[in-house]
Amino acid sequence: MSDLLQYVLTGLGVGCAYALVGSGLVAIYRVTRVVNFAQGGLAVLGAMSASTLLAAGLPHGVAELLAVGLAAGAGLLVGLVAIGKPGTSPRSSLVITLGLAVFGYAVAVLLWGDQPRSFPGLPGAVSLAGARVQAHYLLVVAVTVPVFAGLALFFSRTYLGKGLSACASNPYAARIVGINVTRMGLLAFTIGGALGGLAGVLVTPVQQVTFDSDVALVVNGFAAAVLGGLERPGLALAGGLLLGVGQTVVAGYGGAAYQIEVALVLMLAVMIWRSARRPLVEEPAV
Amino acid sequence: MRRGLLLAGLGAAALALPPLLSGRELTVFVLLGLAAMVTVGLSLLMGYAGQVSLGQASFYAIGAYTAGLLAVHGAPTMLGLLAAPVVAAGFAAAVGVPLLRLRGHYLAFATLAMQLILLGVLSQAEWAGGAIGLQGIPYLSIGGLELTEDLGYAYLTVAALALTLLVAHHIIGSRAGRGLRALATSETAAAASGVPVGRYRLAVFALSAAFAGLAGGIYAFFLGYVSPGSFPILLSIGYLVMAVVGGLGTLSGAVVGAAAVTLLVDLLNTVGTQPGMPSYAPSVLSYAVYSVLLVLVVLFLPRGIVPALRDLPPRLLSRGDRA
Repeated sequence: MSDLLQYVLTGLGVGCAYALVGSGLVAIYRVTRVVNFAQGGLAVLGAMSASTLLAAGLPHGVAELLAVGLAAGAGLLVGLVAIGKPGTSPRSSLVITLGLAVFGYAVAVLLWGDQPRSFPGLPGAVSLAGARVQAHYLLVVAVTVPVFAGLALFFSRTYLGKGLSACASNPYAARIVGINVTRMGLLAFTIGGALGGLAGVLVTPVQQVTFDSDVALVVNGFAAAVLGGLERPGLALAGGLLLGVGQTVVAGYGGAAYQIEVALVLMLAVMIWRSARRPLVEEPAV
Repeated sequence: MRRGLLLAGLGAAALALPPLLSGRELTVFVLLGLAAMVTVGLSLLMGYAGQVSLGQASFYAIGAYTAGLLAVHGAPTMLGLLAAPVVAAGFAAAVGVPLLRLRGHYLAFATLAMQLILLGVLSQAEWAGGAIGLQGIPYLSIGGLELTEDLGYAYLTVAALALTLLVAHHIIGSRAGRGLRALATSETAAAASGVPVGRYRLAVFALSAAFAGLAGGIYAFFLGYVSPGSFPILLSIGYLVMAVVGGLGTLSGAVVGAAAVTLLVDLLNTVGTQPGMPSYAPSVLSYAVYSVLLVLVVLFLPRGIVPALRDLPPRLLSRGDRA
């Protein structure tokens, strides 16, 4: 029983990272209708910069925050290339972010080499009802929950957040009331970058990161986001936690080799089930 | 008429070139031809049926493994080569039934997931050699003639590419091809005009898989060794880059795109392995080429190189007339 509890707690920690990547995808998709394939790359960027900043002697906390800021900046750059040119269709933008993700490989290998990197997180382990869990997993949960609460408040209570939601629900009407939709899209990309960077920074101490970890991160993040139809960050959190727990439980009971397959099959099943219930809206032909 | 001459010239060049190439150049020639075959299928799928596939290398892998497994277990090698496209197409048809219900980015991620699952299964499967892969695949023999030289594979690739282009060309010009084009523009309108949308989408998906499978079969015999590591996600992305750069929905674009990207990557690879360059230079340069080419073409030549070039001559000609 305590084994199961341990798997679930570890899974919640891993799932939080997926949820953060996924909610970044959601934040961008709601406003711009673009699925940012470079989201995983931004997480890797955040993780790698944090490891460099820590190695340079910056204290914990400062280094991680700076890395998240860097990832946000990189997110803004991705957004500028992907939607900055007027008349870029969402399909073209997806292909562009795919290209930028590969560009991220070049940058990451150039700056950090192709070996896995990690840095120490919160040391020690905690006993909870007989289950021993690395303390860092609890830290991940403890950071993620307020971030999601803050996101919910930001989208519903602040002027800027309401502007983003307005672009999400009707870009045309948003433009009529004087909201700059492109600028809001870039803001969404920045938020997405910060969320991706945060995911990378949080997960690296417990899972090593290499330059090509981004595929697994973005696919898991997308799987988490798909549960909410790419529209609702709250459901992305639920999806991420479900995925994380599912994966660690499967791994714990002997299926370690099939961890990622579990997530992928689940994602495919959810997507196909959703499309059967409600036809996915056809993208407008451009 | 001019097009026919151009085609004949290119065909003659493709036949005359291989004996003039050295060993390493010949390898690049074969890999270029194989990439062009996969890209023709992908270009058909994306340009005519409007589907994004980020898992095209999985069909390449299935073709390679089919040919390799059959040959390793003693089946005639020719049978392996013929089975490669059939098995790949069958797999695509089976997987396509649920997957093709999805559109746009959902389909993109679903095909990516398909490849990740396939790679995971292959690297766990003992019957397929696991992560180490299949070794000792014999040379291909066609009617008693064993292809032991690279030159033979170069001509085999040219023949297979010609077959691929011929099949694709006839499909584009047929009634089914017009239905597909209607489908890419507006699915609703196509369905309303009586185009069997679902069946056509599935058929193009399977056909593109068959092209990739055939290329994969040749690849297995050419290298004599396949492993899950030979078919990374980046390979699928590379095919997408080739198709987009050349121009989606044009057959010549697929060949031009495959040639341009392969040659550029090879050139930079040569530069990157020069003495004095850091060990990571080749991979950094190839990632940079893929990404920069893809982004620039999508932003500034959204229809691709070949359609852009095709628009160019009339303008130049008309300017000449006025002078």
